[in-house]
Amino acid sequence: MPRESVLEAGPVADIGAMAASPYLPEAARVLSVRSLTAMERLFDLEFADGRALGHAPGQFVQVSLLGIGECPISICSSPTRPQRFQLCIRKAGVVTAALHALRGGDMVGIRGPLGRGFDVSELHGKDVLIVAGGLGLAPARSLIQYVIDERARFGAFHLLYGAKHPSELLFREDLHAWRDDPAVDFHMTVDRPDEGWRGRVGVVTTLFRELPPLDPQRTVVAVIGPPVMFKFVLLEVLARRIPQGRVYCSLERRMKCGVGKCGHCQANDVYVCQEGPVFTYGRLKALREAIE
Amino acid sequence: MLDAIISTRELLGRVDELLRTQRVIGPVRRDVPDATPPVRWFYEPVSSARQLDLGFAYCVYSPKQYLLPPRETLLEFHRTPDGFSARPVSDAQPTALIGVHPCDLHALVTLDRAFSHNGDDEHYQARRRRLLIVGVDCGKPCTPGVYCADMRANVADEGFDVMLQPLGAGADVERFGVRFGSPRGRAWLEAGGGCERPTAADERAADAWQERKEASFGRTLTTAHEDLPAMMARSYDSLIWEATARRCYSCGSCNLVCPTCYCFDVHDELDLSLQEGRRCREWDGCQLQDFALVAGGHNFRSKAAARLRHRLMRKSKWIGERTGGKGCVGCARCDRACTARISTVEIYNQLAEEV
Amino acid sequence: MKPRIAIFSLTSCEGCSLAILELENELLDLLGAVEIVNFREGMTERSWDIDVGFVDGAVSTPEDEREVTRYRACCKTLVAIGACACLGGVNTLKNRQEMESYRTYVYGERARWFPTTDARPISAVVKVDYELPGCPMNNREFLRLVKCLLAGVPFALPNYAVCVECKKAGNLCLYERGQMCLGPVTRAGCNAICPHYGSKCEACRGLLGAEALAAARLNMREIWKVDEERVLADLRLYGAYQGDGSKP
Ligand SMILES: Cc1cc2nc3c(=O)[nH]c(=O)nc-3n(C[C@H](O)[C@H](O)[C@H](O)COP(=O)(O)OP(=O)(O)OC[C@H]3O[C@@H](n4cnc5c(N)ncnc54)[C@H](O)[C@@H]3O)c2cc1C
Ligand code: SF4
Ligand code: SF4
Ligand code: FES
Repeated sequence: MPRESVLEAGPVADIGAMAASPYLPEAARVLSVRSLTAMERLFDLEFADGRALGHAPGQFVQVSLLGIGECPISICSSPTRPQRFQLCIRKAGVVTAALHALRGGDMVGIRGPLGRGFDVSELHGKDVLIVAGGLGLAPARSLIQYVIDERARFGAFHLLYGAKHPSELLFREDLHAWRDDPAVDFHMTVDRPDEGWRGRVGVVTTLFRELPPLDPQRTVVAVIGPPVMFKFVLLEVLARRIPQGRVYCSLERRMKCGVGKCGHCQANDVYVCQEGPVFTYGRLKALREAIE
Repeated sequence: MLDAIISTRELLGRVDELLRTQRVIGPVRRDVPDATPPVRWFYEPVSSARQLDLGFAYCVYSPKQYLLPPRETLLEFHRTPDGFSARPVSDAQPTALIGVHPCDLHALVTLDRAFSHNGDDEHYQARRRRLLIVGVDCGKPCTPGVYCADMRANVADEGFDVMLQPLGAGADVERFGVRFGSPRGRAWLEAGGGCERPTAADERAADAWQERKEASFGRTLTTAHEDLPAMMARSYDSLIWEATARRCYSCGSCNLVCPTCYCFDVHDELDLSLQEGRRCREWDGCQLQDFALVAGGHNFRSKAAARLRHRLMRKSKWIGERTGGKGCVGCARCDRACTARISTVEIYNQLAEEV
Repeated sequence: MKPRIAIFSLTSCEGCSLAILELENELLDLLGAVEIVNFREGMTERSWDIDVGFVDGAVSTPEDEREVTRYRACCKTLVAIGACACLGGVNTLKNRQEMESYRTYVYGERARWFPTTDARPISAVVKVDYELPGCPMNNREFLRLVKCLLAGVPFALPNYAVCVECKKAGNLCLYERGQMCLGPVTRAGCNAICPHYGSKCEACRGLLGAEALAAARLNMREIWKVDEERVLADLRLYGAYQGDGSKP
């Protein structure tokens, strides 16, 4: 005592390059940035080498700005539209604020796709109900687009969307298109209207009244939104006797590595970044930390 | 069954031979006059085999730091006006770890599995591939309060390239019984020509030594090792968590000294030019207040009680289920590190009394 | 345009300002990245249009109050550096004595020429944007803050205990050597420099939070059987005022 401190040992002498690393992001170009609301922006991206992302709806990527940091963001476009991929990013902290400062032409780092999304083959041939709240519409949109693009493979398609306030509605162009699409049974609502609002007012669960009776034997449900919404929607869904294994939801947790090592994303024993973020309710209900 | 016998002199010669080409890490004794007892051991690089103290009691820190350093650079990057370039880097160098007790061997197996489970962590594996592990058996509990025997971690059959068992008693062991765990280990030790074939008397001496060792370990844990995960599952809602957490500083010392804790944080560093930088990882711990904090301020484990429970669930149940390795090896480093004297094994026992 | 930086001292030993000069390896790069416009320890020329002002020392006289108000007015970003500026520091020892007695002790006959007040952290007088506590402040942390400001990203102090850095440094815990170290309740960022050299942490970077303090009280009484007030009195040495406004 005192001993040589590990921390004070200074720069490492012979640091060498490695062939591979799960933490190495790939360069992707920002094609365009559009403001969706005061807080959310939509980024169109493509890999510098032009390859497709190759994801499943519900998966996410780790977005890097080297020198600032990295954060997990859901892919909000469908793999059926592979030329580019889209991310809808809310300004929430250090990295997301820096992302909001980007312009078309800028580069970001991307790792992914990561995690487990929806197993779409399980959904084929079923009636689909998607319930999205707030920013949950972003991950939901990858599945919505998928169902629309592969419409013939699904039965009825119901889509419910709730936002707090008209100013917080995401993807306005999509909302119009879905409303006008006869193949989509689309309903939306806001919690608090403003003067211009002509649509429905109330929490998202009030939209269940708009739905035709659901067939518990052939309906799958995806619930994506803030934790408070989850429980109330679940009650509606379970009351309609949909089996727990066919109700899907997406969990959010702090994430660092995205590949099941760093431990940050755990909900009890489950590594959300690997086993999720999409889970069936049947699986989730065993996770006390997920539903508390 | 022993594979060979080697004299202490020959063994140290083999270590000195290693030192010509690589870094050698082992237990080094340090005097600490104001501690009881006034001596501690640390895993440190040595420049001569004579500096190793293979008769050490325990090392304050586990050898984890040589596979998962407290801080390491994952990527070096360069920012340009129109983008960036980044490359993964490693400072892994050939290293021999000489003198690892069974508990720490078990912990290294756990880390190996955690960093290969569902995909390799190349940064860990780069170090691991360059690491030669020489275990040394302990003849008795190294210090009061350990519960390695309860965790079935006081004997190791894997996780080493070479395992040494001191033969004979006393401080100055002159011969070691040898078991090989890998061709690499065998090649290294046999290359000096100093390995002897064990005689029947050697085998008997080794068996007797093992029997004496086993008899010297008492039991602390009141739950049988195989029942621990189920007992812990039943204790999820116990009041013990909140009660114990009142004393917890959320200082994370227990995490950081734990040989099987491997959670980490990742952050970026920039030079003043703002052009060159590094993405680094650093030890983190689930006891720390912000471990599960997300943007906007929501904390998925805001209470110290929830964090304490999370750590112990990982130690006793979840790490084992995930990796097949041991989540806790009973080394009691957490108990010794805790300045609130919160003891993991004591919590296990309190919970067992309840459920 | 390089950001214009100034460094000011109130009632202090100016050790924090000196810590900046001790950044030998980085000093040239630092001078390349910023323009230093007002720095008593380092240069004489003065200028009053400042992007980032660093202030060490406690507010301890009416003159200090006027000065720090002026700094606030001319600095876009104001950073308190050191235990005195952030927590009151050792200057606050005087707050616990009769003002007349220490004034006479220090200044003798001429005491009435030197008006004085209770020593307070800067945040008690003006709004502070960032704080770098410590006695002295850690110059690596100073550098990290400068880089954050240059890169335009927010800076945050570590929100964990000194023990974390102590463990990463591989030290033997001082509790094993019979010392009641304050590391478990103190905010990290110093690389556990005191424990590393064998002296217990005296919390010069301030308390981590009320929960840790409550745990300390319980542990001192029930586990270590020592007078909790005596151990916690150490906290007041540097940190009469804590970030959350509490006085321990
Ligand atoms: C699977 C998943 C999908 C997500 N999808 C989206 C999306 O489509 N759009 C969107 O706007 N946001 C999404 N988020 C939330 C988003 O990751 C956080 O808002 C973001 O990490 C905040 O980072 P920051 O650096 O700006 O904030 P800071 O508060 O400065 O956070 C610092 C770091 O902590 C971690 N962190 C903080 N908050 C979160 C969080 N909520 N989740 C995970 N890590 C966090 C990150 O590593 C982050 O870089 C998603 C989160 C997860 C886990
Ligand atoms: S070492 Fe003790 S006080 Fe610190 S986090 Fe662990 S249990 Fe809590
Ligand atoms: S010496 Fe102090 S700072 Fe270091 S681990 Fe012990 S209590 Fe914590
Ligand atoms: S984010 Fe690191 S383990 Fe899931």
